[in-house]
Amino acid sequence: MSIVMTSARDWFRRSPGLVAGACITVLFILMAMISLVWTPYDVTALDIGARLMPPDAAHWLGTNHLGRDVLSMIMVGARISILVALIAVGIGLIIGVPIGLAAAAMPGLIDDVVMRGSDLVFAFPALILAILITAVFGPSAVNAIIAIGVFNIPVFARLARGSALPIWKKHYVLSAMTAGKTRAEISFEHVLPNISHLLIVQGTIQFSLGILAEAGLSYVGLGAQPPMPSWGRMLAESQTMISFAPWLALFPGLAIFIFVLGLNLLGDGLRHRLDPRNDRAA
Amino acid sequence: MTANHDATHNRLIGWIGRLVSVGFFAMVAFSTVAQAAGTLRVGVQLEPPNLDPTAGAAAAIDEIVYANIFEGLTRITENGDVASGLASSWTVSDDGRVYDFTLREGVQFHDGTSFDASDVVFTLDRARAPNSSNAQRAIFALIENVAAIAPHLVRITLKEPLGALPTYLGWGDAVIVAPESAADNASHPIGTGPFRFQRWRKGASVTLNRNENYWGTRPPLDQIEFLFIPDPTAAFAALVAGDVDGFPNYPAAENLALIERDNRFQILFGTGEGETILAINNGVAPFDDIQVRRALSHAINKQDIIDAALFGYGTPIGSHFPPHHASYIDLSDQYKFDPARARQLLGDAGYPNGFTTTLTLPPPAYARRSGEVIAAQLEAVGIRVQINNLEWAQWLDQVFSNKAYDLTVVSHTEPLDIDIYGREDYYFQYHNDSFDRIITDLRGASEPMQRDRLFKQAQTLIADDAVNVFLAQAPKIAVWSRDVSGVWSNAPVQANDLTHADIEGRVFQQSEQRKTGSGGALAMLFFIIAAGLGYAAFYVRASPAFLIGRAAAMALSLIAASIVIFLLIEVAPGDPAAFMMGLNADPASVAALKAELGLDQPLLARYFSWIGGLTRGDFGVSYTYRVPVGDLIEERLWVSLPLALIAFALSTAIGIPAGVIAAARRRRRSGKAIMTAAQAGVAIPNFWLAILLVMIFAVALRWFSAGGFPGWDAGAAPALKALLLPAIALALPQAAILTQIMRSAMIETMSEDYIRTARAKGLSQGKVLQRHALRNAMIPVLTILGLQFAFLLAGGIIVENVFYLPGLGRLIFQSIVQRDLIVVEGIVMVLVFAVILVTFLIDIAYAIVDPRLRHGAMRR
Repeated sequence: MSIVMTSARDWFRRSPGLVAGACITVLFILMAMISLVWTPYDVTALDIGARLMPPDAAHWLGTNHLGRDVLSMIMVGARISILVALIAVGIGLIIGVPIGLAAAAMPGLIDDVVMRGSDLVFAFPALILAILITAVFGPSAVNAIIAIGVFNIPVFARLARGSALPIWKKHYVLSAMTAGKTRAEISFEHVLPNISHLLIVQGTIQFSLGILAEAGLSYVGLGAQPPMPSWGRMLAESQTMISFAPWLALFPGLAIFIFVLGLNLLGDGLRHRLDPRNDRAA
Repeated sequence: MTANHDATHNRLIGWIGRLVSVGFFAMVAFSTVAQAAGTLRVGVQLEPPNLDPTAGAAAAIDEIVYANIFEGLTRITENGDVASGLASSWTVSDDGRVYDFTLREGVQFHDGTSFDASDVVFTLDRARAPNSSNAQRAIFALIENVAAIAPHLVRITLKEPLGALPTYLGWGDAVIVAPESAADNASHPIGTGPFRFQRWRKGASVTLNRNENYWGTRPPLDQIEFLFIPDPTAAFAALVAGDVDGFPNYPAAENLALIERDNRFQILFGTGEGETILAINNGVAPFDDIQVRRALSHAINKQDIIDAALFGYGTPIGSHFPPHHASYIDLSDQYKFDPARARQLLGDAGYPNGFTTTLTLPPPAYARRSGEVIAAQLEAVGIRVQINNLEWAQWLDQVFSNKAYDLTVVSHTEPLDIDIYGREDYYFQYHNDSFDRIITDLRGASEPMQRDRLFKQAQTLIADDAVNVFLAQAPKIAVWSRDVSGVWSNAPVQANDLTHADIEGRVFQQSEQRKTGSGGALAMLFFIIAAGLGYAAFYVRASPAFLIGRAAAMALSLIAASIVIFLLIEVAPGDPAAFMMGLNADPASVAALKAELGLDQPLLARYFSWIGGLTRGDFGVSYTYRVPVGDLIEERLWVSLPLALIAFALSTAIGIPAGVIAAARRRRRSGKAIMTAAQAGVAIPNFWLAILLVMIFAVALRWFSAGGFPGWDAGAAPALKALLLPAIALALPQAAILTQIMRSAMIETMSEDYIRTARAKGLSQGKVLQRHALRNAMIPVLTILGLQFAFLLAGGIIVENVFYLPGLGRLIFQSIVQRDLIVVEGIVMVLVFAVILVTFLIDIAYAIVDPRLRHGAMRR
């Protein structure tokens, strides 16, 4: 017990950001998971009599214009946010990383195609691309995932390529080649493990960007559809009532802010921990 | 780089500093001046697609032009009566088929041409022609012949008696236009009304000036400015901030209680014509079963909907008829709220366990909010509801035209429109021969008693058949500043007749009209880019081969992007023509419009004509506004470009020094504090920051207006002031990112050997920072700066919406919503072009900042 305490304190002293970030992230994920089985109130049921209640003992974060409990909605909203951002990161990793590894393994035509292809995606301002996709295919959580995921692909492809290139010059890679291993085998056995820490860090960053993007899309009505609560739409709905029900605009915004902040702290902390070069800089 | 170069650089920075401070002083000094006095500023929710009421059904057109710019032979008064308009009197033959209208003499159109019988013949013949795009062509088709008997006498002969002809002639679709000007009415309307069209700032406002040659009594107002404020929040903010004098239809009922307590405003409750209904697709199972429809009627608690979705402002109704009408019968209790009865009816119909259905909702807040309540109430009786939110265009396409829906919520705002239940192929898919007979009789009836009886029969019949769930009649809620008088409280037609409106104690000052130079902003953008390119190319003495190679790559990217954009948009659902024609449009008129826009051409032909135009700088013509897309984009660039530049300047001015300081003092408290602030800044969604800024600085402190853009005509100071809050909301998160990147780049550089050498030879820390570290650290930062500029130019679509700035970001969102696809294509192309160019410039900038790269860049 005391050993655990000591090492926790030690961790906190060495990287307080990492610990704080991890705590916030875990808190939000827990909140989302609890919401699967329990929320203080039912988020679909109406309670017209209890509408627009300011925060009190019964409703910790108040109620909205339909009498729905804000805390419950934020809990369920976390679910959608996390789901969208997580799958979007997954799309980026699963499609982007192999593309980037291939580009690094086979310089020349493939590399050029990959780089020009990612240039093309980057040429579209991210939000415009997402709005185009959701406007064309209709607003839904699934299309929000696709829109955000598409943008993650070149991010991971470039990162994988850029960080894999120097590894291809290492001695152990050269000896693996002389041992007769194929470029694909080397990519997955030697290159991927050596760049995985960078992918984890970038994954955390993209995850937090995904949370922000999902909030933005659902704010303009292109994310998850009602009655499923989402943070962005809660903010959009709150705007007309902000002068007399400010809690409706305050809490969902705070939820986004704190969660993204936590993820960023976690990402930065991980970078310092996993990349020795950065230790010197910090 | 030489010392001379550095000196130039420093002088430049000095000048920029001076310019900025002068700008701020000017802003403070002039911020209280230029409010155009004597003008009534009217907030309206929707911007009209065009200004020709005879070629589109959009209510937003009538709300601006009806009775103000255009007049008909008759006019509908505030109480819904028919009064004389351009016809001073009329007679009807005994068989009800022949009408003679005597016209007023001495009436002139705004362009000086005189009004006579030939204009009436032209107008009505145009409206009933086979290729007419008039939304009420079906009614005009009942006219057999229109003849000018004398210069001021017109005879209209009908195919069958039509008792309500004088009423129909008072509608916006029947206003009189002149053959000389009719073709241009969409963008430059010319009528006979008390106000003449002055200008239309797309996405922002329409301005009308008094017609000094008006035939009737001189209107008290000098000028009317209609401002488009689609968002209920923005509407409230604009009202409180004093940006508008009022809203004839106030969209945010939720804060009426607050406005009531504010003695600067008056609230006028009037009768509206909007029956809000839960429309049911009677043509699909299970809703073709009357028991299921009656079950729905029993399952819905109308009062809950009125309380939660309409914030208490509404009267429950039981049929499709306005309670203020003399022939109204109260059927609102025919189906009492009774979930048990609803379940029983569902069981009788063979759905003891309910069923799953879809509720499709259009964008207005009343529909979205009612939809959530309805979904919850239906769930309570076992009907599982999937909510599907659509934009207007998609709603019109899917629900209204293709009837691909189960349930929807919408408000029918046309006056006395119960006849829609007798329409062939209407989206309710309701068919009842007895109802059709009532409507046919009604059409011929001109005797009041008979009409009254028929109206009552019609109401009862559709209620018995439970065609739809009739929810509530919403009142027309107008909010005006106390000093406004003479405005309508009722809305018998969707119009804002401001002929007699007045505003106390304001004098009109003719503001000097500055013309926006055509192509100015676009030219400016391209000049900046070209200058940068030329300078860069000269500086690095780039070889032609290198430049040509990069240019070719750029062209390839652009072509690829254009194909992606074109194809993406091609598969988008929603017919632009149907959207433009509005709710009650005739299918033949929609087809006519489609041909006119060239939308009936094959895919490949349209792509090549679009791309061919682009190479000549021609972006095509907007479907909705009917003006060149290039002009629209250019108009918006005058907002987005300065906004992006200000935000860019702010972000750079904060981010770079903050990053340098944070690096230099990284082990001290101040350095850590900066990094904490930056961490927070990165995590704030810019639209939430924008909302907070509005609430603090516009609503609470009233230092700034809540949004909107006065235009550069109003002077540089008010324009810059309007851009400041949005620029801050856009810039702060970007500045935070920049701070982080600048800091780590500096730290990286400062650990290089040459820095240590410089320190060792005795240079101070400051000198080292300035002379060596900063310049080297700028290399990675440049990439970010370039990307940031592109991002800022896209305007943070959302932030522009929060402040309702008429910029590129808002234009693209509006265009998507309005299915004005050619505008969307144009904007995305311009933005992509900007990004690709910036990327190219960064390549060259690298070579400038880092001489080591120059040769590498050359050899590539």
